[in-house]
Amino acid sequence: MNAFVISRRRLALGSTALLAAPHIALAADPIRIGCVFPSTGPAAEAGSFQLNGARLALAQVNEKGVLGRPMELVVEDDQTTNPGAVLAFSRLSAQRDIAAFIGSIRSTQVDAMAPDVLKIGKPMMIGGTSPTLTRMGNPWLFRCRPNDSYSGKVIAEYGVTDLKKQKWAVVYSTDAFGSNGAKALEEALKAKGITPVLMQGYTNQASDYTAVVLAVRQSGADILGSYFTFENDLGIFARQVRQLGVRIPWVGSPSITNTTALSLAGPALHGTYGVADFAVDATPASKDFAQRYEAAHRKAADNQSSWTFDAVNLLALAINTAGSTEPDKIRTALLGIRGYAGAEGEYNFDANGDGLRGYNIVRNDAGKIVFIRRIDIQE
Amino acid sequence: MSTTAQASAVAPAAPAADTWRGLPGLALAVAAVVAASTFAPTSGYILNIVMQAATYAIGVAGLVVVLGYCGQISLAQAAFFGLGAYGVGLGTADFHLPFFVSLLLGIAVATSFGVALGLASLRLGGHYLAMVTISFQQIVTLVLTNWISLTHGPDGVKSIPRPSLPGLELDRGDRYLALCLVTLMAVTWYAWRLKTSRLGRAMQAVRDNEIAASTCGIDVFRTKVLAFAISALLGGLGGGLFAGAFSYISPDQFAFGESIVLLTMALLGGVQSPFGALLGTTLLVLLPEWLRFLRNIYLAVYGAAVILIMVFLPDGLWGFVANRLRRATPIEGAVPPLPLLSQTGATSSEAALVITGLAKHFGGLKALDGVDLTVRRGAVHALIGPNGSGKTTFINVATGLYRPTAGTIQLAGQDLTAAPAHERTRRGLARTFQNIRVFRGMTVLENVMIGAERPGNDIAEQPVLVVSRALAALDFVGLRADANRLVGTLSYGHQRYVEIARALAGNPHVLLLDEPAAGLNMTEKHELGLLLRRLKGHGLTILIVDHDMNLVEQVADHITVLNFGRRIADGTPREVLTNPDVIAAYLGEPRENAVA
Amino acid sequence: MLELVPQLLFTGLGIGAIYALVALGFVLLIRAANVVNFAQGEFSMLGAYLMVILSGALGLPYLLSVPLAIAAMAAFGVLFAGATYWPLRHRGQLPVIISTIGASIFLSNIVLATYGPSPEVLPALFDSPGLELGGVFMDSQYIAIIVITALLVLLQFLIFERTLLGKKLQATSQDKEMASLLGIPVAVMVLITFSYSAALGGIAGVLVAPILFVSVGMGALISLKAFAANIIGGFGNIPGAILGGLALGVVETFGAAFISVPYKDAIAFALLLLFLLVRPQGLFGEKISEKA
Repeated sequence: MNAFVISRRRLALGSTALLAAPHIALAADPIRIGCVFPSTGPAAEAGSFQLNGARLALAQVNEKGVLGRPMELVVEDDQTTNPGAVLAFSRLSAQRDIAAFIGSIRSTQVDAMAPDVLKIGKPMMIGGTSPTLTRMGNPWLFRCRPNDSYSGKVIAEYGVTDLKKQKWAVVYSTDAFGSNGAKALEEALKAKGITPVLMQGYTNQASDYTAVVLAVRQSGADILGSYFTFENDLGIFARQVRQLGVRIPWVGSPSITNTTALSLAGPALHGTYGVADFAVDATPASKDFAQRYEAAHRKAADNQSSWTFDAVNLLALAINTAGSTEPDKIRTALLGIRGYAGAEGEYNFDANGDGLRGYNIVRNDAGKIVFIRRIDIQE
Repeated sequence: MSTTAQASAVAPAAPAADTWRGLPGLALAVAAVVAASTFAPTSGYILNIVMQAATYAIGVAGLVVVLGYCGQISLAQAAFFGLGAYGVGLGTADFHLPFFVSLLLGIAVATSFGVALGLASLRLGGHYLAMVTISFQQIVTLVLTNWISLTHGPDGVKSIPRPSLPGLELDRGDRYLALCLVTLMAVTWYAWRLKTSRLGRAMQAVRDNEIAASTCGIDVFRTKVLAFAISALLGGLGGGLFAGAFSYISPDQFAFGESIVLLTMALLGGVQSPFGALLGTTLLVLLPEWLRFLRNIYLAVYGAAVILIMVFLPDGLWGFVANRLRRATPIEGAVPPLPLLSQTGATSSEAALVITGLAKHFGGLKALDGVDLTVRRGAVHALIGPNGSGKTTFINVATGLYRPTAGTIQLAGQDLTAAPAHERTRRGLARTFQNIRVFRGMTVLENVMIGAERPGNDIAEQPVLVVSRALAALDFVGLRADANRLVGTLSYGHQRYVEIARALAGNPHVLLLDEPAAGLNMTEKHELGLLLRRLKGHGLTILIVDHDMNLVEQVADHITVLNFGRRIADGTPREVLTNPDVIAAYLGEPRENAVA
Repeated sequence: MLELVPQLLFTGLGIGAIYALVALGFVLLIRAANVVNFAQGEFSMLGAYLMVILSGALGLPYLLSVPLAIAAMAAFGVLFAGATYWPLRHRGQLPVIISTIGASIFLSNIVLATYGPSPEVLPALFDSPGLELGGVFMDSQYIAIIVITALLVLLQFLIFERTLLGKKLQATSQDKEMASLLGIPVAVMVLITFSYSAALGGIAGVLVAPILFVSVGMGALISLKAFAANIIGGFGNIPGAILGGLALGVVETFGAAFISVPYKDAIAFALLLLFLLVRPQGLFGEKISEKA
């Protein structure tokens, strides 16, 4: 981020949008779901996609209702900052009739809210992919995206089994996302008996990657795995990779497949592979979601909207199954979900609260993202 | 002791001297807050918002000290805040130390880095210091992010506990809030008191004019280091409490942008007063709530507001109101006269100031080239010479602003050649400046109090007597009625008198006057002449540099003439003014400056 | 590792030339108005976004858009001076520093609100990505930056040393009072400097956009480094700023390769701190004197 763009005042709270479904007229009190999404700050645009996904699911859910009642979303702005998320959550948690929450796609925000979630004792569906979130003994966090240990495993699996490469160079951002992802990839490779020849971190917004690319070249690696957080970093890196003559296969974390990265890096990313938690062509459910989303918002669906879409559907399913909005019962019902086909994949919640264990492998075919295969990790 | 009697005589005039002033107010406020906090919720939005405002305000009070009082820009306050926060976070969560031990550790780390930054300010001001503090800020952020084995990197520190003191239940939200608020009030009280303390005045003197501060006996460097240390300490304290309040911290919360936020809070409220800082912090915490309708241009408005504040409210909101309410009421009450006035003057043969072989070379330019000069006790000694002859350089070397290339300087038999300016003042050398150097942000009285507080002065350690001595000096120059006015609002001539009063309040052994008549009109020059003669009558040793031959002839016992950095004549006025070399040196000078 | 040296040197010089170019804009303002402009990076950002508007949204030819963008930046420089410098010009350094910080926040967030956080793409000057010479790949954009920076330095030298306007600008920067006594319109000279500095910032933005992409934050870190380059070279010293920029680019590139990539920026800032503490007058020195 721009050093001079200051985080929005952390105590700011966005508007409380009450999004009752318009076309269903059930007399009963609505079941309210509290959402912490950014509507200001750098992720404001992404926040609107998250809200879109959740609304799409809400419309679907409210065609039938939940326990004979309509469902309603209460949204608070997290301002794209950690303290902002804490404050947004504290506003929501003060409303006692809220049955469950949909949290953040940012791991650090989930981390910041987690103690309060534990205190309030109600389920929160989260999109942050740091593996530690569901392993810190907080029983109320349920993840609607695969965590980074799986992206690491999937990258390792595809590179070693499908591409048959052994000498790995791993390049990663030293931020929370990048360093956790790289750690997971390193562990997955070690499980396959491979020690990477290079683990190279960089700081976000570095304007030049010559030293990194040369280190990759010098390492003699025959495959590159990467965790980039920001697309412009990825774009600069990709161009220098090509310029400095590194021609090895490259499997990257989800950012390598997103539209911004494709437009910034252009040909420099052609032929690369990426893992994606959401791919349109992966399953019938994902195809169906993508069509609905495009019809409703005239925009291509992405992983910002797919997980909130699933989160609302999963909560509706769990509350219906539980027959109650009591937190413990919802929790038990969520843990019991097996084989639910969501936009992100097939949900089977484990005891930690992780619902998904797989990623899609996609390839950049001259600028078009092509689905190759889905890899689910069996444990 | 007679001093007690004197003290009571001026007690109404010296509120600033009461060390414990405001303490009852503080106690009352603390009691009120502790009582009120029992009604506070134990969790939730209101609690969070107030806790955040309170911990931030403690950090912002640090900026008041370093920027408001001492005038040193610091763009690293968030880094100090972060060091305190990480002290508490890592200390409690990772090393399982008690909360308050961790807090002290965090504060100690922050303070030591503050001292280090203060040391950097030795040779650097303005833009340099801005850059040093930015660099420090960036490095702290990078280290917090990348030293993962210690700091957990970007993941941050989780599950930071609050203190558990038996019986107090400080881990409860409302109790912890009370702890934060009580700390805040103590800090605010301290910062408010600091402003009118000797150290606080020294800081403001450094802010307003470093050179004049050093010639008033203030150790500029030490003062700056202290300001940075206090600022960092308060930053660390605020950050440590912040960590306990939110139980989760990560490096991005203490990045450069947050330093700017803290700075803006201080500036908005008014960086001259801790109450202003408190106001600014509260406003900027609440502002987002009020500006919600602005949505995504909120920060742009924020940036524009910073410019508008600088242009239209240079002293911030609090300063704006305080300036409106300021009443420059005269200070009543009789004070004992300057000690000087109980003496009568006679020139003795004893040397007060002996300068031998003084040389100062700027590169190839020999501004002073082996000048000898002896000022006798009780004498008024004039140093004259055409423009560029080295007079001002001479005074600057004599008072320690420049280092001599060669030569020695002795005051009352003690060698001062290597002593820094403030040390010379401590030994009894005082001076005024050709282009007036008063402390513009302060009142007339405060300016003169700084003179009275000169280290080495007999009453320097007794706040009550400092006030009465300063008032006595103002009595002497006839400016008592203006004591509570800001010095910048005085006429040029009166500002010169303030400078002289400042020097006199320090009861100097030797007074150096650098072109005191410069810029004065005829009436003022006449008054100045009378004043100098009164000083001479009381036997003060004076070295005066001036062009104005009328003035010099009126008061001088002895004249030394410089030309091209060399002494060309030395003797009684009659001897010197008839010296052909002197007349030659002055030829071509305008009539009013020429020798008759 | 030794065989990497030529490649690192080229990249280091390329990055350094960017710093030098931005530092050039800084240094003029410091000399003419004693202003440390913390919004210098935003000048570059605005220049690049103007290109996005002109050649992207309005579809003007690239070669027409460039002079238009630079001219617009020159005009903006005057506006900027009027808002942040003029009302505060008699109040010392600190208020101006803070108001330029405010301007930086304002400008970057206005653009953020308009364009959002996603970076935009601006095409390179040349179609060819670059050329390889003895195992060293030279990015064509970096070559352009190095050449244009050199040309601008030359041009600036000619203007300052060989024209009347240049002499007047110099006189203003050296002694405002004396300059105004000599009948030089000091206010106009200061405004010209702001205008030129903004135009230089704009040029830097247009040049680095194909490498760093066009984003709100593109100028911030560069301008901090350029500022550091200024101090390393000697505050307010033009050759110092150029050499300081180049030196910083080379040092941090080598530091990244041989010491640590994540701490690359820390190396740069540590170098700066070292300079500030050991040799605050920089490589070339600044004339600092205060008359008592």
